[in-house]
Amino acid sequence: MSRPSEADGKNPSPLSRRNFLRGAGGVATGGVLAHGLLAASRANALRGAGEVEELSGEVALALDVNGQVLTVRVEPRTTLLDALRVRCSPPLTGTKLVCDRGQCGSCTVIVDGRPAYACMLLAVDLRGKKIRTIEGLGEPGALSPLQEAFWKHDASMCGFCTPGFVMAIQACLERNPRAGLDEIKEGCAGNTCRCGTQPQIFAAALEAAQASVKGGK
Amino acid sequence: MAARKSRRKEAGDVEAVSELAWPPRGDLAVLNHDLRRVDGPAKISGRARYTHDVRLPGMVYARVLTCPIPRAEVTLDLEPARKIPGVEAVIALAEGGTKWLGQPLAAVAASTPEIAEDGIRAIRVKLEPKPWAVDRAQATAEDAPKVLKDGNLSKENTSGDETEARAALTSADQSVEATYTLPVQHHVCLETHGVVVDYRGGDEATVYCSTQGTFTVPESAARELGLKASQVTTIVEHMGGGFGSKFDLGTEGAAACRLAKALGKPVHLMFSRADEFGAAGNRSGSRQVLHGGASQDGRLVALVGDIEKLGGLQGGSFPGRGPYIYSVEKSFLRVRSVYTNTDVARAMRAPGHPQASFGMESLVDELAYAIGMDPLEFRKKNLKGPVYARQLDAVAREIGWAQHPNKVAPGALKDGMGVGIGFAVSTWGGGGGEGCEVDVRIDRDGGVTASVGTQDLGTGTRTYVAAIVAEELGLPIESVTARIGDSRLGRATPSGGSTTTASLAPAVKDAAYKARTLFAERLSRAMDVPAERLRFSSGRIADERDPKRALSWKQACGELGGDGLSARGTFQPGLSSNGVHGAQAAKVRVDTLTGRVQVLKMAAMQDCGLPLNRMAIRSQIQGGMVQALSYGLLEERVIDSVSGWALNANLEDYKVAHASEIPEMVALIDDEDTRPVIGFSEAAVIPGHGAIANAVYNACGARVRDLPLTPDKVLAALGRVG
Repeated sequence: MSRPSEADGKNPSPLSRRNFLRGAGGVATGGVLAHGLLAASRANALRGAGEVEELSGEVALALDVNGQVLTVRVEPRTTLLDALRVRCSPPLTGTKLVCDRGQCGSCTVIVDGRPAYACMLLAVDLRGKKIRTIEGLGEPGALSPLQEAFWKHDASMCGFCTPGFVMAIQACLERNPRAGLDEIKEGCAGNTCRCGTQPQIFAAALEAAQASVKGGK
Repeated sequence: MAARKSRRKEAGDVEAVSELAWPPRGDLAVLNHDLRRVDGPAKISGRARYTHDVRLPGMVYARVLTCPIPRAEVTLDLEPARKIPGVEAVIALAEGGTKWLGQPLAAVAASTPEIAEDGIRAIRVKLEPKPWAVDRAQATAEDAPKVLKDGNLSKENTSGDETEARAALTSADQSVEATYTLPVQHHVCLETHGVVVDYRGGDEATVYCSTQGTFTVPESAARELGLKASQVTTIVEHMGGGFGSKFDLGTEGAAACRLAKALGKPVHLMFSRADEFGAAGNRSGSRQVLHGGASQDGRLVALVGDIEKLGGLQGGSFPGRGPYIYSVEKSFLRVRSVYTNTDVARAMRAPGHPQASFGMESLVDELAYAIGMDPLEFRKKNLKGPVYARQLDAVAREIGWAQHPNKVAPGALKDGMGVGIGFAVSTWGGGGGEGCEVDVRIDRDGGVTASVGTQDLGTGTRTYVAAIVAEELGLPIESVTARIGDSRLGRATPSGGSTTTASLAPAVKDAAYKARTLFAERLSRAMDVPAERLRFSSGRIADERDPKRALSWKQACGELGGDGLSARGTFQPGLSSNGVHGAQAAKVRVDTLTGRVQVLKMAAMQDCGLPLNRMAIRSQIQGGMVQALSYGLLEERVIDSVSGWALNANLEDYKVAHASEIPEMVALIDDEDTRPVIGFSEAAVIPGHGAIANAVYNACGARVRDLPLTPDKVLAALGRVG
């Protein structure tokens, strides 16, 4: 039995988000740099058009969420997901935390019209962007057409993946309201469902797409 | 199916107006239909509140530090974590000798999740590695370290007569001997294990818990908090998947209680995804050396099996005694556990059965081809009773077996591609019993509420609670509110072994039946019609002899006093049954140049007694097929035996089936089953991966005996790679 010298416990989580972001400095080109990422990412940031800004500690931030401007206090490292779920008041908990590493799609939101994983975005990078979450789509008694189709086709069992799937497919159908099965599958290819509702999700998404074909949208 | 009349005269009770039984299926207005889930809109709009989503004033967030190697002598220095501003409490969970990879070592509570994570990273951990065994090879090596005090192998359980079985093997026309192995699989509940403990000192606490058993929590939480079980309320409004892994409070729940007690503040503690892989259980691995014999006319004449369960520090699962489902004339099985320094296996949807099914269905398939018989016919010949035969015929029709060219041997390839079909069957108990108390209330304003503390894992419990009451009272389902997931409500059994429906549905029916009977008695006076002549249907209560003498539901409820009316129901025998059957077929396309397997279609037929909600039942069957596909093609826990590190404790490297892997799926309910309600959900996950592996052989002749069925194994089976 060999004794791994690495196993000294000093770095129990070698793939932390911070290390990952440090390695992938490109994410900082939006012009905002979190304190501590500055040195590693300076070169990339300076290549961008925006000015360099240094942030540290808790900062107040205005986020445009579902058409409302919300003021939240975040750390530069706070993800959009934690900003929504933990720091907003009242908290927006419809967007789910499942893997926290961009691997499951459960935290899918729509940023400036494109689907995005809220766990892989820093809240401070979202200033000036339009964020849409599941709370902005429809509500009980007034579901959106896609949500209504999810309900009709039983496309939600435990329901924990559901908001992520709804948002991913919503973004897909906004891109192409007449999307077929292959495009829908691609649109939610990054979303995990463990209960196995995918067949019903496809049926719901296709029905929503068909409805827009009939409606001439 | 005649249900037994089982009624006692109680205070406030009245004589039955009719038998306590499910109506004939043709008479059902709500049950046995496609019902939309009553909690669907809340879940689909993100409004449903799960344990993860609970936010309370003054709440702190906790994180757990887990052991990164399988066995070590651990020393913790918690002080650096305590010095971080915002960290409120740090506790050790294990020190000294640790025994398994992923064992929780410490927990930190802080004002934000980010600071709690800082606290975890700041803890200084000294690990002195001790020799470990994480897999079968290490655990059974000659100089293997002892995982448990008594060694690494359990005692053997045997069944059958070995001498007779070996003699039968010798005289069989054909025999096959092969080793089948299955990996350790993870539950991958999307909502990780965890709790929110709302304790601020004093003598009561509320524990929000992602659990399969509302009533499994209060006693252990009370023990940790120094309270009585009656002082702890458990809330499970919604929960994000359990699959067998979420009973009781768990290490994580106990840690949260300790932190809450120390701080006098609410504590939110959810496992991270990595914690979840290491410390939230798994499906035990399995190694089966099977030697089977068949006669040339298609009888299974002999089976000798040597089976090992890999359940980490405990036994793991393998079902029953004797051959799995199939009748074999002479058999002998030896079953034992091999222990490793990994997390204890937990129940996972049909514990042991998917493992046993893969071994047996593969062997049966190999024997069918060995004697040159259609594997569908061979199965039907060796399964007891008519149910499996009709179910196999149904899925064979659905998958297109009659038109399929490869009946007794793998087919010819076209451009290196082969298309194949495979079959497998399943069984499960799914019966119910005592332990649920359901209250039905009817208010003077017409409101109807059904209350019971049970939990809904995503199976649709909340919906059928409402549906059963609606059916009984002749109302639409929207008129009934189902309240569940709260330990202050009537007791309910935990959801394990697909027993919930068969235990709970009879109690709901009993409560609704009693409420209707009481209501009829009261209305009898107001309407001047004998109670037994009052019919409840379409939102009206009418005299069956003179339907014009009727009241609308609202009018009728207006006749109630201010207290309304309520009735409590309990389990009544005769309203549920047990023992289910299922058959599944898979059609695959195999690329013999790359080894890639694509499942084109899966079909299932499942019996379940009286279907309460047909749409939810089809969803459960499809969900079982998706999980089996995922298990068969993709999933496997990987631990490096040398470094002891978990190599795929995340959702990128531990892959579960996604949109691109999901084929066309057909879920059929076996309506020839006339029995009352039975739980079946576990049965649906048992046969799919075996059917897929058999389809791969049928497509191209690659017999893969080791799951997951990855491209390299297909190529190896074809002799294309070494």
